[in-house]
Amino acid sequence: MSGALGRLRSAVFKRGTGVLLAQTALVYLFLYVPIAVVIALSFNDSRYAVVWQGFTTEWYAALLRGETVARVDPSAAWAALSNSVEIAIASVILSTVFGTMLAFALDRHEFPGKRLFTGVVFMPIIIPSIVMGISLLLFFNIVGMQLGIRTAIIGHVAFGISFVAVVVAARLQNFDQTLEEAAMDLGANELETFRYVTLPVIRPGVLAGALLAFAMSFDDYVVTFFIIGQENTLPIYFFGMVRQGISPGVNVVAALIILATMLVVGIAQWFQGPTW
Amino acid sequence: MGRDTTREASGVDAHLVRRIRRNRWTGAVVNLAPSAFWLGVFFLAPLAVMLVFSFGQRGAFGEVLLAPEHIGLQQYREFFLPDEHSLLGGLWVTIAWVVEWALPFEVSLTSGQATPYVRLLFKSIGYGVVATVVSFVVGYPMAYYLGHLAPERYQNLLVVLVILPFWASFLVRIYAIQLLLSANSVLTNALAVLPGIGADLSLMNSRFAVLLGLVYIWIPFMILPVYASIEEIDFTYREAAMDLGADRLEAFVHVIFPLSKPGVMAGSVLVFIPSAGAYVIPELLGGTDSQMIGNLIADQFGSAGNWPLGAAASFVLMGVMLLSIAAYQRGGGELA
Repeated sequence: MSGALGRLRSAVFKRGTGVLLAQTALVYLFLYVPIAVVIALSFNDSRYAVVWQGFTTEWYAALLRGETVARVDPSAAWAALSNSVEIAIASVILSTVFGTMLAFALDRHEFPGKRLFTGVVFMPIIIPSIVMGISLLLFFNIVGMQLGIRTAIIGHVAFGISFVAVVVAARLQNFDQTLEEAAMDLGANELETFRYVTLPVIRPGVLAGALLAFAMSFDDYVVTFFIIGQENTLPIYFFGMVRQGISPGVNVVAALIILATMLVVGIAQWFQGPTW
Repeated sequence: MGRDTTREASGVDAHLVRRIRRNRWTGAVVNLAPSAFWLGVFFLAPLAVMLVFSFGQRGAFGEVLLAPEHIGLQQYREFFLPDEHSLLGGLWVTIAWVVEWALPFEVSLTSGQATPYVRLLFKSIGYGVVATVVSFVVGYPMAYYLGHLAPERYQNLLVVLVILPFWASFLVRIYAIQLLLSANSVLTNALAVLPGIGADLSLMNSRFAVLLGLVYIWIPFMILPVYASIEEIDFTYREAAMDLGADRLEAFVHVIFPLSKPGVMAGSVLVFIPSAGAYVIPELLGGTDSQMIGNLIADQFGSAGNWPLGAAASFVLMGVMLLSIAAYQRGGGELA
């Protein structure tokens, strides 16, 4: 092949890298512009329009004073938020403990029906939330359990376990079990071995699993909506507001949710390094 | 962990304790018990209840009839079989309708139509496929850039930036799309510089809005596995191919792309499944013509009040998802 053609081709290739870079930048824009728009519009000095009219912190101030801004009642939002946090914390604790144990069982032991059981563990991640939510609703109705915060926690643990187990099991695959044998040879019992040898090594995986379970619980709308009865969570409250249309109050709540979740994830990353 | 639970009893019967601790089943049973219980009672049992409901019948007041004389496949028949058709005739009408619907040009194979439920099912699959294809077309070049071309210093940061929006609330991001697509929004004002488009154009409540929402939410699940595949590729293979006379395109098509295929397949399943089963996105961004099977299920358990039909639709939807996973595994993909 001639040198001129080769030069042409490498010129094309250089430009190819540029094209890919531009394309990558566009995807980042696609991912972040909508989020930026929500945050920007929460400072927008207009009651109705979705275009920029001028900067104001009026909506934030009004909500902080406890005033209702365009149907958004801050006290209802606070109540919903506290329910969400309660459900998320309870379900994260349960699903992290159970899910980590499950990951150990799947990683360390062979038992009859393991393939089938592993499939069942994956199912809550895969099946549509709407199916999971409605089936739990039918179940709670049949066994006569009163719907409320408690049933919501039960449902969230049912999918939280799977997320934690998958994340921790991935971490366990790279775990060197001779470390445990060494600890036991040196006289540690099972509990001490777990506490001082195994846990420190797999901790990033457990924390990543817990963080994922927290996000899934805190963010869940569909499953929760069907099994929480008359109570509210933040996503249910937010969904109700969005249904009624765009308003400055909704913008403020949306911006605060984004900032709060980003803060939590940022702190987690700061302590733990990238977790995804 | 878990193997320690017998420790407190050690004074009582050290021998028995040692036997339990040494038993190879103890660890498995203790570690499995809580999750097996939870998933069995609060996941599988509810699904079993739903499965039983799907064989039932709706009573006159919306109640579910489950007596032996009501049990049968009638809900699945209603879902799949057009009225006044036998099994074979219904199958033909349905297949003919699917062919007519899927082909880009007009063909007329049958005067009959598939049931509205089957049409909705295929529409949902169509949404899933289009969202997957768009995510692939948009995401693959980006994953290639991140995995191979990006400066190593920034690689981790760039990947974190792909996953970061996933942590921001799902509903908030859907609301963000709504803000962009409504009339007089930032986006429509920007588009208004084009001829023939006014700023009061609303892109909301359309198929476009639903598809945009699906891609927006799920595209990280395409980018990340593809990135992971490409990052592991040994690019000396490409040099070898080019030494052997392949040009860049050939080297990509025959060497690099096949090596990245596991990521593409994993990404496709990860985008297709939640897209086809979407409920919130069509509910918030779609209009009456852009509802999906998830909305049908919700309707049947809500306002339409036919629980058995909703249960049957749920299992049909899960069947589609199992099929897509089976196809994925057949293609050599592994779970997780």
